[in-house]
Amino acid sequence: MDTKQLIKRAKKGNKEALVKLIMAQEKEYYKLAYVYMKNKDDALDALEDMILVLYENIGKLRNEDKFYSWSKTILVNRCKKMLKDRSKVVLIDGLSSESYEGNLYRKEDQILLDKHMSKLSEKHQEVLKLRYFLDLEYNTISEMLKVPLGTVKSRISIGLNKLKESLGGEGYERS
Amino acid sequence: MKEVENILKNRKKEMDNIEVPNDLEDRLLRALRHKKVIKKKRANWKVRVAALLIIFLLVGYNFDTLAYYGKKLIGYDTVMNGTLRELNELEKGQIIGKKYTFDNGIILTLDGIMIDENQMLAFYSLEDPSGKIDVTDMTMSQNNFKGLIETYDNSGGKGKSSEDGTEIKWISSFEPPRFFERNLSFRFNLIGEDISELGEISFKIDRDKAMGYSIKKTINKKVEIEGKNILFKSITASPTTTVIKGSIDDIISLAIDEIKGERYRANQLNFDLIANGKVIDNQGSGMSTNLKGITFHKEFDTLPTDLESLKIKFKSLSVVEDVGKKVSLKKGKDNGNIEILGETISIDDVYEKNGETFISLTTEEDTILTIVYLLADGKKVKIEETLSDDYEKKDMGSILHNRTFRFKGTGNELKLYIEKMTYTKESDKEINIPID
Repeated sequence: MDTKQLIKRAKKGNKEALVKLIMAQEKEYYKLAYVYMKNKDDALDALEDMILVLYENIGKLRNEDKFYSWSKTILVNRCKKMLKDRSKVVLIDGLSSESYEGNLYRKEDQILLDKHMSKLSEKHQEVLKLRYFLDLEYNTISEMLKVPLGTVKSRISIGLNKLKESLGGEGYERS
Repeated sequence: MKEVENILKNRKKEMDNIEVPNDLEDRLLRALRHKKVIKKKRANWKVRVAALLIIFLLVGYNFDTLAYYGKKLIGYDTVMNGTLRELNELEKGQIIGKKYTFDNGIILTLDGIMIDENQMLAFYSLEDPSGKIDVTDMTMSQNNFKGLIETYDNSGGKGKSSEDGTEIKWISSFEPPRFFERNLSFRFNLIGEDISELGEISFKIDRDKAMGYSIKKTINKKVEIEGKNILFKSITASPTTTVIKGSIDDIISLAIDEIKGERYRANQLNFDLIANGKVIDNQGSGMSTNLKGITFHKEFDTLPTDLESLKIKFKSLSVVEDVGKKVSLKKGKDNGNIEILGETISIDDVYEKNGETFISLTTEEDTILTIVYLLADGKKVKIEETLSDDYEKKDMGSILHNRTFRFKGTGNELKLYIEKMTYTKESDKEINIPID
């Protein structure tokens, strides 16, 4: 069955059809969720969230060619919402704990990358992850995040510069 | 710029290797199938987010503490009628038993509270008497107790629902009300399909029923480990939990370290609380860095009633410290040992292969070179990967950690630049807490 037919069925409330549509690009969806949520369990939760929203709203999707970008936008928004709600919870606890993960299994430069990435603003981190971790095209990112193409490009270039500054800025000449 | 892009692209390889969990399809179908049951009610993502919030509260912050409540809750079983009443008979809690009925028929019951020095526990339930509404789908992210001026927020809890989901019982922990509070109002925001209603139950606090505390003591004793002063400030033992608070160094010494470039962050602090010679179960801990310096608190199970002796036995402190040291390396196996922050790092081998430089080294188990570079003829090279991570058990119980760093490129003059290091210092110092 082709995508169009599946979408038609999903629009009529066929759950299997909707799941099939997602499973046809399971890796893309999973990686996208993973880039935001950073672990398997939360990524799966975000995907579950997404499918519920898709199921409720697929009737509103007019342009069926846009199913994949539409659903991925929803996934990104679900992930961001989950992360935001989570940060609120931490604030309620009033715990400003700062800890370093002494992760033995991670390569040390990847730890470094995480650390420096986290210094960037959310919107810069986001485009860099989508562009480089997932290898998405500029216009795909623009469509997914609903921001103009020019903005995506400038965020990536600013993000890269800041990251470079940050990585190089903690110089080895300090001692 | 290229280099930064390359580091980023390395992560792509990692991402490409990610395997999609086998149960993804199942989970999606299950999520949708569950939807069928509740479709009319349009239980939406809010519910899921709320569930997540609760899970996060449970798992993320208070895991150990909650495991404790969980244990107790199962022990309490139907906590609302049995044990709480029993505890109440023992004058250890206040039965409230007040209800609030929401517009959709759901009934909120505040069965009782327990107040002690460390926390206020609330026992409450949500129920749909018609047996139709799945109350576990209701968002209840916001519930708190409102006093005269202050609001006491929920800091975690655990609920147990009936099989059909039409009833859920909660035991949640809140900050204890201030001494001047006489009346409290339990405020509960119920959000679901077609409903967003604030339910309120007011009651008078019966201070006679408050459990007070068995011990609240100032400790104010210092333990010095490798130049770091760990100050144990106080211990508060209540009938529901025991909390130890303290700090590591003060803001002035932190500032001095910062100026000297010897900045460090405490990573983990391990100590036991021993009462009558027995180790008390640890329930949770937290550490934060703020204007006051580094403060910590650690929660333990309750103290025995026949308390004879009490002491803190220190185990270890693990810190991440700025090093910023360059170590000259010779190719070959005779580099010997270097000493950094009192830790011995043995450089076992330095060699080139296929245009890359490899450095093998051995440290103690808990020592990690958190950030490290190779300086090859003055050029800073980041680490490519860590190979053959091995742990070697020595006699005497110590464990050595061998590994090899791989760097791209070679050079004649090699230096290892260690920027940050994580290490653990053990200690068996003890602090006796006098009981009187």
